[in-house]
Amino acid sequence: MENPLPALERLRSIDFPIMNSQLDASHPDARRLVLSTLRPGRRAMFALVLAVLAATVLPLVAPLFTRRFVDGAMAGDGLRLLTFIALGYLGFAVAGQLARMLTAWLASRLAWDGTNRLRELLAAHALGLDMAYHRQRTPGEMIERVDGDVDAIAQFVVAFLLDVVVSVLLLFGVVAVVFAVDPRIGAVLLVYCVALVVGMVRAQRLAVPAATTVRQRHAALFGQLEERLAGAEDIRANGAGHHVVNRLHQSSAELYRADLRAERIAGGLYAGTTVAFAVGTALVLGMAAWGHNAGTLTVGTAVLLFQYMQMVRAPFERLIDQLKNYQKALAAVSRVGGLLAEQRTLPVPAHPQPLPPVGPLSIDMDGVAFAYPDDDEQILADVDLHLAPGETLGLVGRTGSGKTTIARMVLRLYDPTAGSVRVGGVDLRDVGLADLHQRVCVVTQDVQLFAASVRDNLTLFRASDSTASPDASADVPPDIDGAMSETNTDRYSDDRLRSVLAEVGLEDWLDALPDGLDTVLGPQGEGVSAGEAQLLAFARAFLTNAGVVVLDEASSRLDPATELRIDAALDRLLAARTGVLIAHRLSSLSRVDKIAVVDDGRVMEYGRRAELDAAGVAR
Amino acid sequence: MNRPRGVWLVIGRLAMVTPSRYLGGGVLWVLLFVAPLLSGLVLQALFDSISGERTASLDAALWLCAAFVAVELVRGGLFWSALVLWAYWWNGAGTTLRANTLRSILTARGPAKSRLPHSSGEAVARFRDDVNDLVMVTDQLVDLIGAILFAAGAFAIMASIDPVITVVLVLPLTVIAVLNRMLRVVIARIHRRARQLGAVVTAYIGETFAGVLAIKTAGAEQAVLRRLREHNRRRRDAAVKDRLAMDMLDTATSATVEVSVGLVLLLAAPAMRTGEFTVGDFALFISYVSWLTMLPRVLGRMLYRVPQGAVATERLGRLMADHEDADHLSEHAGFWFHSDPPPAMTTTPERTDPLETLEARGLTVVHDDAGRGLHDVDLTLKRGTFTVVTGAVGAGKTTLVRALLGLLPLDAGSVSWNGRPIDDPGTFLVPDRVAYAGQVPRLFSESLRENLLLGWPAPPDSVEAAIELAVFDDDVAAMPEGMDTVVGSRGVRLSGGQVQRATAARALVRRPDLLVVDDLSSALDVETERRLWNRIGTATGAGHGPAALLVVSHRRAALERADQVVILDRGRVVGVGPLPELLRDCPEMRRLWSEELVVEAEEDTQADQRRG
Repeated sequence: MENPLPALERLRSIDFPIMNSQLDASHPDARRLVLSTLRPGRRAMFALVLAVLAATVLPLVAPLFTRRFVDGAMAGDGLRLLTFIALGYLGFAVAGQLARMLTAWLASRLAWDGTNRLRELLAAHALGLDMAYHRQRTPGEMIERVDGDVDAIAQFVVAFLLDVVVSVLLLFGVVAVVFAVDPRIGAVLLVYCVALVVGMVRAQRLAVPAATTVRQRHAALFGQLEERLAGAEDIRANGAGHHVVNRLHQSSAELYRADLRAERIAGGLYAGTTVAFAVGTALVLGMAAWGHNAGTLTVGTAVLLFQYMQMVRAPFERLIDQLKNYQKALAAVSRVGGLLAEQRTLPVPAHPQPLPPVGPLSIDMDGVAFAYPDDDEQILADVDLHLAPGETLGLVGRTGSGKTTIARMVLRLYDPTAGSVRVGGVDLRDVGLADLHQRVCVVTQDVQLFAASVRDNLTLFRASDSTASPDASADVPPDIDGAMSETNTDRYSDDRLRSVLAEVGLEDWLDALPDGLDTVLGPQGEGVSAGEAQLLAFARAFLTNAGVVVLDEASSRLDPATELRIDAALDRLLAARTGVLIAHRLSSLSRVDKIAVVDDGRVMEYGRRAELDAAGVAR
Repeated sequence: MNRPRGVWLVIGRLAMVTPSRYLGGGVLWVLLFVAPLLSGLVLQALFDSISGERTASLDAALWLCAAFVAVELVRGGLFWSALVLWAYWWNGAGTTLRANTLRSILTARGPAKSRLPHSSGEAVARFRDDVNDLVMVTDQLVDLIGAILFAAGAFAIMASIDPVITVVLVLPLTVIAVLNRMLRVVIARIHRRARQLGAVVTAYIGETFAGVLAIKTAGAEQAVLRRLREHNRRRRDAAVKDRLAMDMLDTATSATVEVSVGLVLLLAAPAMRTGEFTVGDFALFISYVSWLTMLPRVLGRMLYRVPQGAVATERLGRLMADHEDADHLSEHAGFWFHSDPPPAMTTTPERTDPLETLEARGLTVVHDDAGRGLHDVDLTLKRGTFTVVTGAVGAGKTTLVRALLGLLPLDAGSVSWNGRPIDDPGTFLVPDRVAYAGQVPRLFSESLRENLLLGWPAPPDSVEAAIELAVFDDDVAAMPEGMDTVVGSRGVRLSGGQVQRATAARALVRRPDLLVVDDLSSALDVETERRLWNRIGTATGAGHGPAALLVVSHRRAALERADQVVILDRGRVVGVGPLPELLRDCPEMRRLWSEELVVEAEEDTQADQRRG
C-alpha cells in the first residue's frame, strides 16, 4: 500500500521541539534527584575518604625520605641509618601506589552501585509513562537515556574521585610542602601552577572543535560503510563496486584531512606541555642551585624538589583530560533529569471500580473522539461501537485510518478527548491499571522477543519472579504493584506453559528445543520464524485471565502451513473472549461477528458481518 | 592461509604503503624515545654542579638548567613532527586495508553473501577494529625499536657509572615484563566478559522498550525491572573486576619504578658516603628508571598485539573472496588523500555480446534450515520475452533469481549466456548485460542522483527516461530538491513503494539487456505495478527498454503480460508456460490465481474507499 506521509510520521516531527522545551523547565529538581540516587552509604563514603587521603599523603611523604637520604649520605651518616631511610622510602612509595589502586576499586564500586540504582530508577520511571510517550521514542533512544547517559555519569564519577580529587589534593600538597621547605620557591611554584592550569584549559579548548570534526568524519566513514555493506548485493548486481570503493577513498581523504588538522593541534599542545614542564623544572632547580650556593638549601632538598616536579605532571594532565568528561556528564545529567521530569498523563482513578473478575466482557464506545495533545489533527471522531461479551469485532481500514487507535482505546493507552470507553460496563477511566491489565490483553503485530529463555519470553519474566511481593520495590508507581499479588508459581507452572504452547500448536516446536522451556532464544528472537513468534504471542495471551483480547494481525505473508496453525490458534483464543481484531487479511474477517470499516478516524460502515456481506463490502 | 606468515606479510606491506612517511616518521619516533638519555645526562651534570662535585659556579648550574629546557624543546619538536608525518601513513595504511576488503566484497568473484556476517554492524566492527589492530601493531613496531634502543643506551651509561646496581635493576624490570605477559591474557578475558555483560544490559533495555506495549498491558513491569536489576548486578561485578585488573597492571608498573629507586638508594648508600656515587649519578638513575619501565610495557603490548593481528588478518580474510588471502588484503592499490580517485567508468561500455538466450540448468541451493531451498531448477530466457516466476510464500522464488544472478552460492547447476557457460555469474551477469532490483532494496544516504547512478556514466536524458519508466517521475518532481534530494536513513525518508521504484530506476538507467525484478507487491499497489509493466513493455516494444524481463510476482498485471510463467512449489518447478495453458493444466497455478483475485479485490475495495 502506498501512503507517502502517514499521519503519525507527521505528528512525530511536530511533537519533538515541544517535548524538549518542557525538559528544560524542570531541571533543577531532577538533577537533585539524580545526584541523590548516586550518593553512597555512610560507611562506604568513609572508606573512600580514607583511601583518597592515603593515596594523596603517602606519595607526598616518600620524597622526604630521599632528601634525608641524600643529605645523610653527603654528611656521612651510618650505613644502618641510610639503609633504614631507603627502606622507609620503599615502604611509603609502594604503599602510596597501593592506596591509589584501593581508591580506584572503591570508587568504581560506588559508581556502579549508584549508577545501577539510577538505571533502575530510570527504567521504572520510563515503564510507568504512557504509550503517548513511548510512541515518540525508539528503543535506541531509550538505550541512550537509560544506559548511555548513565554510563557517561558513571565514568565521570570514578574519574572525578580519582583524577580530580586526588590530583588536586596532590598538587596542593606539593605546593604546601615546597612552601614549608622554601617560601620563595613555593611562591614561584604556586604562580607557575596557576599559570599552567589557565594555559592548559585555554589550549584544550582550541583542540575541541578539531577533535569533534574528526569524530564526525569517523562516524560518517563507518556509517557509509555500514550502509554499503548492508546493500552489498544491490551494489554487486548493479556493477557499482568500483564506484563505491572510490566513495570510500573520498570519505577516507576527508577523515585524513580532519585528522591531520587535529593532530597538528593536539601534537602542538602536547609539545607545549612538555616544554612548559621543562621550564618549570628548570626554574625550580635553578632556584635550588641558587639557594644551595647561598647556603639556604641542601642538595637533598634539590633532589626533593626534582622528585616533586616529576610528580606534578601526571595529575595536571589527568585534570585537563577530565574537563571534557565533565561536560559530557553534565549534558547526560540534564538529559536523564529530563526523562525523570516526564509525567504520566493518564490520571489514576481515586476510587477504582472493579471489572467483573471472570468471563468475557462487553465493550462500549460512545461518541469517542481523540487527538494527541499539542496537535490539532483529529485522530478519531464520533466512534460508536458496541460488543456483547464474547463477540468479535473486525476493524478494517488502510494504514493511518485510525483503526489501531480505536483498538488502543480499549487498552486505555490513551484517554478519549470526548465520549467514553466502557469495558464490562465500567468506564476505563475508573478502572485500576492492575485490574485492567489482568482482564484486557493485547497481541501486537510485531512480536518482541527477548534474548531470554522460552519461559521468560512467555511469562515476561514473571515465572522466575515468584519471590516478588507487592511492596518489594517502591520505585514503580504503586498502582502497578497490585498485579503482582497473584502467586506466580501456580500461574506459570511448567505444566501450564506446556499446555498453553500445545494449545497454540507449538508442541512440536517446544519438543525440538534442546533445553525445552529453558532454551534461551537468540537476540531479536533469532532462530524463531515470524509465524512462530506470532504463535508465542498468542500463547502469552492464553496465559492471562483476559476477558478481552485486542489483536493486531500480522500483515506479512506467511507460508500456507503456518497460516493454518495461526488460524486454528486464533479461533481458540477468540472462543471464550471478547475480541477486537485489526484485520489485514480478508480471510480473517470470516470469523468475526461485526465489522467496522474505518477511514480518516471515522467509522464509515459498521454492522454484523452478514449484513455487510450483503451490502458488498467483503465481496 | 598460513596465519603467522599472514600477519607479518600484512605488517610489512602496511609499513611500506608510504615508505618515506613510515621510515621518516619512524626515525623521528625512535629519536623521541632516545632523547631522555640526553636529559638524564644533563640532570646528572646539573646535580653534580649543585652539590659541588664539580668545581663550577652557579652560572654553570643555570646554563645546565637552560640545556635541560633545550633538550625538552627538541623533544617537543620531534613529537610534533613525528605525529604530523605519521597521520598520513596511519590513515593510508587503514584505508588500504579497508579499500581492499571492500573491493573484494563488492567486486571479487564468487557471491558475497556467504562471506558477510549476519549483521552489517558486525561487518563494520571488523572494518573498524580489525583494521585498527593491524595498523596498531605496525605502528608499535616502531615503539618497540625505540624502547629497545633507549634501554640499551641507558644500561650502557648506568653500567659505566655502577655496574652492580645496573645489573640488579634488571630484576624488577624482568618481573614486570613477566607479570605483564601473564596478566594480559587474564585482563583480556575479564575485559571481554565485562563487555559482554554490558552488551547484555544494553540489549535488554532495548528489548524492553521495543516491547513496552506488551509489558505494560501484561502488567509485567516489576518482573522486567527485577530482571534488569539482576543483569545490572552481574555487569557491575564484572566491570569492577575489569577496572581492578587494569589498575593492578598500572600499579605494578608504577611500583616497579618506586622499587627500583628504593634499590638504588639501598645499594648506593656505601658508595655515596665515599663520594664514588654522586648525587648527579643518583638523579640520572632515577630519571632513567622511570623511562625504562617503557620497555616491558611496549614489549608486553607487542607480544599481545601480534597474535591479535593474526586474528584480525584471518577475520578480514574471511570477508574476502575464497581465492584471496593476506596478499590481496594488503595489496598496495593506492589511496587518494589530496585528489579524487580516478572515476570507475567514464563511458558506458560497448555492447559486444547482446542477449539471445540465458539458460540455467539444474540450479540447486540447499539452505541449512529444513527443506527450503532450490532443487534442480531449469530456466530459459529468450530475447524479447517477459518471464514471471510465481509461487506461494517460501516456494523459493527469491532464491531462484539470486542463485541465477550469482548472489547465492550454487550447490549444483550451471548458467550459460548465448550458449556459452558462465564461469562466475556474480561478476558476469551485471550491467549492462543484466540489472537487478531486489525485494528489500537499499538506498544510501546520498542524493537521489548518486543513488540512481552509483558511478554509471549515463547522460541526463537517459536518467530521466529511466525514472519515467519506473513510474517514479511524479515523486521526483514533488521532492524538495528533485534529484539532489538526499534520501536514505540520514535524509528524506521515502516510502517503501518509492524505494522500490527508485531501485527499478537504478536498474533501468543501466540499459540492461535483461532486467530482473524481485517481488514489488509488498510496497506497490496493484495500480502502480500495472502502470510500471505497461511503461516498460511499451519501451521494450519501441526498442529502448530492456530486451528481456525476469520478474517475481503474483500480481495479475504481471502474470497476464507474461510470455512464460514459471511456478515454483517448495523449491521445485511445477509448471512452465503461458498463463492460459497453466490455468488449464496446473492446479497450483489455479490455487495461486484464485487467491490473488481475492487479495486484489480487497485492495480495490480499500482504494475505492480512499477515493470515496
